Amino acid sequence: MESNSPTALADLVRRAQKGDEAAQRELIISYQHRVAGFVYAMTSRSDYVEDLSQQVFIKMVRALDRLQAPAQFESWLFRLARNTCIDQLRRQKLRRIFLPFGEEHENIPEPPGAVGSEELDALRHALAQLRPQDRALLALVQEGRSHAEIAETLSTSVAAVKARLHRAREHLREHYQPDHET
Amino acid sequence: MKPEKDAWNALNAHAAAQLKGGFADRVLRAARGPQAETWHELNAAAARQLRPGFADRVLRAARAAADMPSLASQFALSAVTAAVCLAAVIFIHQRNVNAADERNLAEWRQVVSVAEEFEAGVL
Repeated sequence: MESNSPTALADLVRRAQKGDEAAQRELIISYQHRVAGFVYAMTSRSDYVEDLSQQVFIKMVRALDRLQAPAQFESWLFRLARNTCIDQLRRQKLRRIFLPFGEEHENIPEPPGAVGSEELDALRHALAQLRPQDRALLALVQEGRSHAEIAETLSTSVAAVKARLHRAREHLREHYQPDHET
Repeated sequence: MKPEKDAWNALNAHAAAQLKGGFADRVLRAARGPQAETWHELNAAAARQLRPGFADRVLRAARAAADMPSLASQFALSAVTAAVCLAAVIFIHQRNVNAADERNLAEWRQVVSVAEEFEAGVL
């Protein structure tokens, strides 16, 4: 897919909406890495990436015919991804109430260097300290979404997005310690 | 004053020894915050978690999910089943009540006829 062409993307989305499986497959392949990155930034857990990404795309395939504006596909997809991750984090929090062990026993951190460089470990650690809403905001910015698109995705105003983004970046910087041992 | 100065020097040396190598670089990296390359590395690490054939697995799972009855249709089926059960209970109850009424009426008729016969015999 020519991802830099909005018309081509809208055509692909329309074909996928009509049930064209090849178009649906192409959409999934085009966005799977970006959605996986978003999920990883949201959860800081590599073992959740495949499962949650799959959930996001299943929801996408099932709800695609209800998308009114194919041009808004990317915002819509990342809203699905954000909601799926936040639901998962809420379920996890709720489940923890009924479990006899604490959060630290369930969320065993990946050892430093197991996933990537010191910087990546530091970024994962810093993201994990933020509220899920702030992680979503930062991940959407890294995705290249504009403030207006993020405002639409989060159903809020551009001014609110800017203010929250400023705070989220400050918090991220506070927790970002490349020599931090996770 | 010399012992005091020595003590300060020793303290400074001890403190400096606590700093691991590359301290200045780490401070600068932390101050700059995560750079674009780190975010790219995060995306690449996430992409590596997806096993080959991801799109086909998603489409298969979506098809399987589409074949399953929706929540609305499951609810409708439950509501229809409950309504049929309720109607059956009401029908059977009504039939039993009617049968009991007919039986009681027949017995009363019998009692009345016996009473009439008895009355006619007495008179």
